[in-house]
Amino acid sequence: MFPKRFVLKRLLLLVPVLIGVATLVFSILHLSPGDPALTIAGERASQEFVERIRADLGLNDPIWVQYIDFLGNVVRFDFGESYVINRNTTVREIMANTLPVTLELALYGQLFGILFGIPLGVLSAVKQDTLTDHGTRVGALAGISVPIFWSGPLLILLFAQVLGVLPTSGRISSTFSVSPIRVTGMVTIDTLLAGEWDMFKSAVRHMLLPSLVIGVYSMALISRMMRSSMLEVVRQDYMRTARAKGQGAKITVLKHGFRNALIPVVTIIGIQFGGLLGGAVLTETVFAIGGIGTLLVEAIEVGDYPIVQGTVLTFAFLFTLVNLVVDITYSYLDPRIQQ
Amino acid sequence: MSTETLRDGEAETASRGLVDRIRASPFLSQLLSNRLALAGLAIIIAMLVIAVYARLTLDLEVISRSQLGTNPNRAAPSLEYPFGTDGQARALLPRVAYGAWYAMLFGTVTVGASTVLGVGLGIVAAYYGDITDNVIMRTMDVLLAFPSLLLALALVSIFPDELGLWRAVAALTLVYTPRFARVVRGAALTVLENEYIDATVALGATDPRVLVKHVLPNCLAPITVQSTLNFGLAIIDLAALSFLGFGASAGTPSWGLMLSNGVSQGLLTGVWWWSFFPGLFLALTVLGFNLLGDGMRDALDPRMREAVD
Repeated sequence: MFPKRFVLKRLLLLVPVLIGVATLVFSILHLSPGDPALTIAGERASQEFVERIRADLGLNDPIWVQYIDFLGNVVRFDFGESYVINRNTTVREIMANTLPVTLELALYGQLFGILFGIPLGVLSAVKQDTLTDHGTRVGALAGISVPIFWSGPLLILLFAQVLGVLPTSGRISSTFSVSPIRVTGMVTIDTLLAGEWDMFKSAVRHMLLPSLVIGVYSMALISRMMRSSMLEVVRQDYMRTARAKGQGAKITVLKHGFRNALIPVVTIIGIQFGGLLGGAVLTETVFAIGGIGTLLVEAIEVGDYPIVQGTVLTFAFLFTLVNLVVDITYSYLDPRIQQ
Repeated sequence: MSTETLRDGEAETASRGLVDRIRASPFLSQLLSNRLALAGLAIIIAMLVIAVYARLTLDLEVISRSQLGTNPNRAAPSLEYPFGTDGQARALLPRVAYGAWYAMLFGTVTVGASTVLGVGLGIVAAYYGDITDNVIMRTMDVLLAFPSLLLALALVSIFPDELGLWRAVAALTLVYTPRFARVVRGAALTVLENEYIDATVALGATDPRVLVKHVLPNCLAPITVQSTLNFGLAIIDLAALSFLGFGASAGTPSWGLMLSNGVSQGLLTGVWWWSFFPGLFLALTVLGFNLLGDGMRDALDPRMREAVD
């Protein structure tokens, strides 16, 4: 049965958190040094011009009026126009172009993490305390310890510079233009939808290294969680019962153990999504991919506050949303949680 | 009986006392039998030695200054320059070694500050409950709603540029505090259920006395594990902020900054040693803390002790 009451409760609990998130972002921007009006007007603008912009932006209003206005804008997902990076363009429009890029990266990273992390975790648990187990565990710890801004450059140097088999940066070969076939904004999907086989191949080749470096982190976390969860499940009575009634070891592990052990892994997938988004910022920087992460870094550098607001809030909302979905999935898989 | 044999006997009891104490503590004996955790500890100690040695013997001003004209520019690793030289002809080996000092120093401050803040908030929330608990923990929830590196990025912009790595430390302290608060609150709630707490209160102990003398010591184990695991994270995040341009100021021998240089200038020219050496040290240090922290966590979790048959 779908846990309706649980979902409703979780949604209600989310409201204060989201208001808090918006309030924090509002405070951060008001505490930041620098005058937005001066940033827009430029250094050489006249005093009156700066004053006019300040009035237009509502910066002369009392702080609580600005705060209420801000909350209203957040609800409508309206963050105004960019000050510096892309003038006269709404932040919403800029984000619509960059967010799919980051999501694509995060999704492939996640996919990589799940595809390799789960089997490795199971293998490690089934062969507990053998060489395979130790190797996998050390490998997982190493995966968490290696920074993206180290593994990324080294892989680029190896595969792109030395071996010359993969491209160094970007999302697709510069000979192609993706804007005419844009549907989702995710280049591997758009090229496939358009049936452009060569473009798709180029996009996949560009995506390999970035999703590898970002995915290793999720793989490491998932395999660790899978291992400990599997070890926990293996000790349960129903596993012994299954064995006692004559079921083979492999079948018991796969049929009874694996399915139950997956439940906590769902949680870790949600928790590490935040790490994945942070990792996307670093990966985009290393591989020169113009996503929302590089946009945020640039916006902080030049003081483009509407973009900083929009991107940070979007990241927080996304993260919260993913965790909500994970919680609901979890409660669905393990109904004891709903109590 | 001569005095000498007596002294020997005393020494023996003393050393047996230590061994017995380790044996008696399931946590320590479990941790010390974990070879991976010991390897982690060895890495950390080695890095500490490098850090202190670099701090004491190297002149920061000299290794930050451009050496163009004196040293070969962009030289590949050789016997004379084991880690090669950078774009300003500075030898990389002393800079990478000094980076260990930066990582350890700023990492310690970050973890120390967030531990103190988080432990204080967590214990107070658990002890007073009700509104205090709600206000503190809901605030922590808000901070936890952001992906950590992105919150740190946004927070860094509050502080003036001149602070260099210190603004990264301040931002990350705020980012990590909620994790400690959560762990400590949970641990403190369990401790508070014990009868000896009621007994202490009945004897007239003041709130601070109960918290500091009775609750805190009994929460130390999870705090230590969380700190150790967070140490690795702090060092990586500090480097990440420097890498993105929001940490160490230009010229500083921080690993993150060296890696940033390796990507922005070394990548397309194939100068691999600009990325390789600072990153290797960074990854090793973080691995050390993760190995140790992981071992500690296993040692604390009794379920992980016996193997399944």
